[in-house]
This record gives sequence, structure tokens and C-alpha cells, in this order.
Amino acid sequence: MLRVENLHVAVRDRLILKGVSLEVGDGEVHVIFGPNGSGKSTLAMAIIGHPDYRIVSGRIFFDGQDITEKPIDERARMGISIAFQNPPKLHGVKLKDLLARIASENGVGERFLEIVDRLNISQEHLNRYVNVGFSGGEIKRCELAQALASNPKLIILDEPDSGVDVGNLELIGRFLSESLRGRSALIITHHGYILRHLKPVKAHVLIDGVIACEGDPDQILNRIMKDGYRWCERCRLMRGV
Amino acid sequence: MQVDERRLREALSKPAEYGEDLDLGEFEQESRERVEVDEDVRRRSLEVGVDLRRASSLTTFLQIDHEIAYRAVQKQFQGDIELMPIQEALERYPWVRELFWNLVSPYADKYTAYNALRPPSGFFLRILEGRRLHMPIQACFFSYSPGIIQSVHNLIVAEPGSEAYIITGCTMRRGDQKGLHIGVTEIFVKPGAKLNYTMIHRWGPNFHVRPRTGIILEESAATSYNYVLLGHVGSFQSKPFTRLEGRGATISMSNIIYLDGSSKMDMGGDCSIAGKNGRAELTTSAVALDRAKLTMRGRILCEADDGRGHISCRGLMLSDEAEIYTIPELISRRMNASLTHEAAIGRISEDQLIYLMSRGLSREEAESLIVRGFLDVSPLNLPSFLEESIKKIIDLAIKGF
Repeated sequence: MLRVENLHVAVRDRLILKGVSLEVGDGEVHVIFGPNGSGKSTLAMAIIGHPDYRIVSGRIFFDGQDITEKPIDERARMGISIAFQNPPKLHGVKLKDLLARIASENGVGERFLEIVDRLNISQEHLNRYVNVGFSGGEIKRCELAQALASNPKLIILDEPDSGVDVGNLELIGRFLSESLRGRSALIITHHGYILRHLKPVKAHVLIDGVIACEGDPDQILNRIMKDGYRWCERCRLMRGV
Repeated sequence: MQVDERRLREALSKPAEYGEDLDLGEFEQESRERVEVDEDVRRRSLEVGVDLRRASSLTTFLQIDHEIAYRAVQKQFQGDIELMPIQEALERYPWVRELFWNLVSPYADKYTAYNALRPPSGFFLRILEGRRLHMPIQACFFSYSPGIIQSVHNLIVAEPGSEAYIITGCTMRRGDQKGLHIGVTEIFVKPGAKLNYTMIHRWGPNFHVRPRTGIILEESAATSYNYVLLGHVGSFQSKPFTRLEGRGATISMSNIIYLDGSSKMDMGGDCSIAGKNGRAELTTSAVALDRAKLTMRGRILCEADDGRGHISCRGLMLSDEAEIYTIPELISRRMNASLTHEAAIGRISEDQLIYLMSRGLSREEAESLIVRGFLDVSPLNLPSFLEESIKKIIDLAIKGF
């Protein structure tokens, strides 16, 4: 579904990703671990085609097509969606209107209301302006609703578990475990709480702009929990990356 | 109020304090065409929120140039309100004659003087004590004959404890028509009354508009005075004035402006808090395109204990040749008053655009959604069915964007 080849990405003039390669198969859920500033969000932004993230070299393939040069909106229409970590406020745009718009453009129609229901988004919340005065948990649920309302083939979740309380985490976890079935997903997480609810097939550890380690998500998470990312640093040295 | 004709004639040469000075001699005084309520009139009225097809079921007042083309009070509200031509009210009620020209000075400038010298036309609306109208009252002022000065004087009295929504739409027959609209409006809001007065205007590049408004609020009276202008106007100048006379009175003056072409608009809002605990809020959301120039003057004076006032102006610039100029003024004469203002003028945020594009919207679709959102109708304090219909009017007006 997604293939990233030797990707180098710069933000302004600073090189952040320095040769990242990974492949996510059809219906597979992968997880990206990494310390702050390692380039996790940059990878997400490069995949969705954010214009501030310049691809210096390397290619991105999605659904068999080279999308490296394609603009962000076209990639979205092809079936890539994202739940942002820090989305902007949209004053005057009601959440229900935006969701209805995304759903209708993607042939989802009224079914987006099921998503809203499962994410426990209230009528009152739907009538508020997107991200204006939302709590941390409300932002996450609103992002997930938008990301799923387009019925995507690939969904990228940028820190779906950061800044949310236990109740919201439970709800989001349950929602994702149902909603990701049959879809490909790339989940970016710093501390891995969301993995209590999801069973990704593979984890990639990103350190200083390169994939330092790959393997079984549970094993990797356990090592990170125990030894922190220093363990990956050593691993990287061992692999000669 | 008695007016002094000699002083009025002198005032005919007095320019307004702000805005482009117009030569009244360049316009026609009388309608040269036989007025007809045809499909064009109905369609254009609908564009400013007045549905003439529902004239038989909604309380409606339609004035074309200076002719009252239609007026009717909704059956279920008969006995709750009085709606009649102002001329008729002046003849019938001595107290209306006393109120006439009380809140707007006829000597203020050439426009008020011209208006006062003409036979009065416009409506008188009285909402009787304690009556609560859940359906809107609609009024439409239509400029029909090319080049005409349409001179209107409306007077509204909301009696104690009454509640009403009034939608007035002002527009004209053809988009390129020359003309001048002078609209004097005096609004008396009695203790505990609630009034929502929402104007929707659509004009053209050769049309000039000079509204003159005065509002007085008595104890615990609350008024939303809303102005929506969409598109092009040759020149516009207005600075509606509200006096919060009674304790605990509240005024919210909101402007939603989408200005394009070579429009020149000088819009103001002036509130004077004279009663304890008075609240005044002036809100403007303005989008400027092409070579449009907008000046926003907000002024709140507080001379009463515990008064609160806030001026907010948000501008969105969609052209390098456009201009938005904001001039907020706050004057406090009380230690315990709280007056604030905020203004922000900018372009469409790239972050917002990218966010929406990441959801599959094209750049143009995303821009349009942001502009529509910017022209947010929620400050107008309308019930949801009216809010939706005004939102639709705005959406249609900016469809080309």
C-alpha cells in the first residue's frame, strides 16, 4: 500500500529525514517509535505531501503509484488521511459541516454519523467550530472522525495517545481497533499507550532521521520502556547505520 | 419633534463628518417609472433575506422607491404589533410625532436634512407590551427608478417586555443602477424589551448609501443591531449611535462585510453607556477584495458604574490593492468600568488551508470554506432557522469567490 524509499526530507534548509525506507502492506498496521525530534512527524508530513516538507531525494509510492510529486489534496483524494497532533483552529467552520463535506466528497454520505457516534462526539461538540475551545481529548476524537470520514485506504495517526486522559484513551483505542480493520495504518507514538488496544504487525524506531531498528512491536516497546532509546542508539551502531 | 425648516435648508450643504461627500443635485428626487412588483423584484428581495412569496404568511412591509407596495401583518400577530407607513402613524399618534427625529438629528448633515425636508416615507412598527413574536417581521426597501434618492425614515417602538426579530433587506433593481439610499432609523427599546434588528444590504458600484440610526435602550432592554453588506457599493457611510439609558441594558452591534470591486465603505458604531451595568459590544468581521476600501470606526463611552464594553474587528485581506483601516475608541469615566478592544487583520492562514487540503479539498475549495467561516453569523444572535437562511444568503452572494 505504502512504500517509502530512501527518503530525505528538509524543513526550510534543515535536513530532518536522512534516508528512511519502509513498506506498509495492504491492511497492515505499523507503528513508528522515536524520541522527540527524531523526525516522526516529518515522516508523516512528507507522506501526506505537506508543502513545507521538501523531499530532497527518495520516492514515495502509494497504491502502486509514485506520489512523490503529487500535491497534498490529490494524495488525500487517492486515499491517504491523517489525524494531526496539533491541528489549527477553524473559526466559523462547524465540525458537523466539515465532516459532512469530507464524507460527501468521498461517497461516505450519512455514514459519517456512525463514526461520530462511536467516538462519542456530542451534538453540542458537532455544532462548535473545528478545534476552537476543544479539550485535548476532543481534538483527538475530532481528528479521528475527520481522518475516517473520508474512508481512507491508509491512515496516519500522529500521536493519537498524547495529551489524553485514561477515559479518552480507552475510547480511542476501542474505536481504532474496530476502524482500522482492513485499512493500512501508520501510527506515530512516543510512549506507546495506544498499543494496549492495537496489535501492529511491525514497529520502526526512528532516531535522528533514520530508521534505527525494526521488528516486533511488543518486543521493541518493552526494550524502550526498560532501557529507553539509548538501547536503540546502540542498536543503530551495531547495524552500522 | 418640531423641525426648523430654515436650519434644514442650511444643513443641505453640510457634508457628513466622514465618508465621500455627494452632490445631491446629481440624483433624481422622484421616481420616473411606474413601479411594478415583478419577478426581478421578488428575486432581488430574496437575495437580501425578504421572501415576498411568503408575504401573505409573514408580516411584511415592501417599499419601492417611495411607494408602499405591500404591507400586511401576519394573522396570528394581529393585535400584537402595529405596522403602518410612518406618515400614517405621524397623523394618528401625537406621541409618535414627539419621538420623530428624537434619536437622529435632522440637522446632522445634508442627508438627514434632505430626508427631513421630504414627505416622510418608511414604516412605523410598534410591538405591544409583553408580546413575543417568534416569527420574523420582514421589511424591504427597493430602489427601482434609475438615479433616484430613496429617502426612508423608520421608527420602531418595542414596548416593555416585548420581543421581536426584524429583518430588513435593502437592494435595487439592476446591479449597475445609479442611486442614493438615505435611511433614517430610530429605535426605542423600552424596559425589558428584546429586539433583534438585522439588515442585509446588496448594492452596486454606482449606488451610494447613507444610513443614519439612533437607538435608545431603557432598563434591562437588549438589542442586537446587525448589518450585513455583501458585494459592491459605490460609497457607504454610517455611524449608528446607541444610548444605553437604563440600568442593565445590553447592545450588540455586529457587522458582517464582504466588500469587493472599488467599494468605499466607512462604517462605524457608537455606544454611550449611561445606565449602571450597561453592556455594549461592537463586532465586525470584514473581507476585503479587489480595490475595496473599508474604514471601521468603533467608539464606546462609559459614564456609568460597572459598565462593560468591547470592540472587536477582524479583517481578512484578499487583495494587495484593498485596504482595511480600524479606528477603535474607548472612553471611560468610571473606575469600575471595563472597556476593551481587539483588532486583527490578516490573510488566509496557510496552516488552515493545508489542513483542509489534507482532507481532500482543493485550494480554492479550502479558501472558500475559510472565507465563509470568517463571515460567521453567530454574533448576530439569531434563532437557528434565521441563522441558516442568512448563512445561505451569504454563501450565494460569495459563490463566485
